[in-house]
Amino acid sequence: MITNILKTALLIFAFSMSASAGFSQAEADKLIGVWEPSHGKAKVKVEKIGSKYYGKIVWLKEPNKPETNEPKTDQNNPDEKMRSTPLRGYRILKDFNYTGENEWSEGTIYDPENGNTYSCTIKMKDDNTIEIRGFIGVSALGRTDIWKRLQTPKK
Amino acid sequence: MKPTKLLLLAFLVLPTFVFSQEDSTIVEEEEDYSIYDNLDFVDGSAKRFANAKIKGISPAKLITLGYDYQMGYDMTAGMYGIHPEETATINATHGVRVEANIPVISKNNLVVQLGARVWDINYDYKDASSLTHPLHSTLANHNLRSIGLNSTIFKPLSEKAFILIQLAADMNGDFAIPEFQKLKYNRYSGAALWGKRPSDNKQWAIGVSRTYRAGELNYIPVILYNWTSMNNTWGTEILFPARAHVRYTVNPRNMLFAGFELEGNSYRVGNQSPIIRDSLDSIINELEIRRGELRFRFVYERQLIGFFWISAQAGYRVNYSYNVDNVPNGTDFYRGFFGDQPLSMQNTLTNPLYFNVSINLVSP
Repeated sequence: MITNILKTALLIFAFSMSASAGFSQAEADKLIGVWEPSHGKAKVKVEKIGSKYYGKIVWLKEPNKPETNEPKTDQNNPDEKMRSTPLRGYRILKDFNYTGENEWSEGTIYDPENGNTYSCTIKMKDDNTIEIRGFIGVSALGRTDIWKRLQTPKK
Repeated sequence: MKPTKLLLLAFLVLPTFVFSQEDSTIVEEEEDYSIYDNLDFVDGSAKRFANAKIKGISPAKLITLGYDYQMGYDMTAGMYGIHPEETATINATHGVRVEANIPVISKNNLVVQLGARVWDINYDYKDASSLTHPLHSTLANHNLRSIGLNSTIFKPLSEKAFILIQLAADMNGDFAIPEFQKLKYNRYSGAALWGKRPSDNKQWAIGVSRTYRAGELNYIPVILYNWTSMNNTWGTEILFPARAHVRYTVNPRNMLFAGFELEGNSYRVGNQSPIIRDSLDSIINELEIRRGELRFRFVYERQLIGFFWISAQAGYRVNYSYNVDNVPNGTDFYRGFFGDQPLSMQNTLTNPLYFNVSINLVSP
């Protein structure tokens, strides 16, 4: 009898934990999708790997180098080995955790135009608009860009 | 195994599998990227704004700690009251320069930057004790200093057009710290430009400025022209007449510049020991040195580590103005190119080589 009560309690606990996790998960997963930075030169697909969020470049307005007409690579990366890596498919947003109140933090953003990686926070202003702030050390030393959500592609 | 145990096991073990996936910068899986070609915005539109920067431009400096050094030259102080013209040799003119420019608002549709600077200029005279002219004795005993606040506002009007506003307030003089000098002697400058950014590689703007860069107050047109070649190797960074440089980019963390900067301001002298006009009537004038100099130079900038960059300049300093005006009560006047207000002192300087080195924290 006592064993059955314990089992039921455990099940209820497990169910309630997963339900509450599911609720915050849905909120956290709002970041998943395809986004366009304000400059309109790229599209970035945000996906979830494990418990963290990552964003990779899936489209470039100018996918090829003008001088060679070959696909653009990460030619400004300080790591020489990475310079031949194609930009399309490159993960520029990394390691974001959902920290509540429509904010994802503890991540980094990579700028392929200068090869720098910045600390970064993402704040969702509405379901289709996010503010991406890259900064050095403290948030005050940074720059904010507004990204807009694109429709989900048809596979 | 009983269903309850299975459920519990699944509940405990599943997260371990989920969290154990690893990240990598390079995405390995093949993906059909053509599906992203024609995607509309979910909410119908996105307003685009001209970016404040162009591709390949040198990084903006957030915090600068620098040292400026001019080699030896001669300064001839013009006749002043009973004091005849006197030429003195200056071994070196040097000083520390600290600046900060922090973006307080940095968004797509508005960038507002606030800045501050502290400059110190020490005149190291040869045979200082033998000098009799009050300008020489003042400079030999008291550094010229600048403490300033400034703001830069970049407001995009559309995807291609923007306005740029710069404002600055400077306290310049031979004041001691912390005595300073009265705020009525502050010098205010500013510029307003309207421009276009036709592509990622080019931006230009035209406008007007109120400036002390040539020493005395001037109202002059300004032209901004920033450009980067398609292969990112060459470029220009021009805000004429304040500065103009050609840029050669070795890589985004390593750049060489050639060009010039017009540097100067109006410095109140006599704060610590008032300069009298002559010894007979003891008229104390309120004098300001109209210091303006052209610095033709090469600049090398490179990343040291992370966001810390070093900037090294070497060049030739050409004196444009070092004349002195009487500015009673700090109420400045506009002489312009055609004004005939008399100068209190007409001074001449020979031109030395100069060097400047700074460590900078650069902006994203």
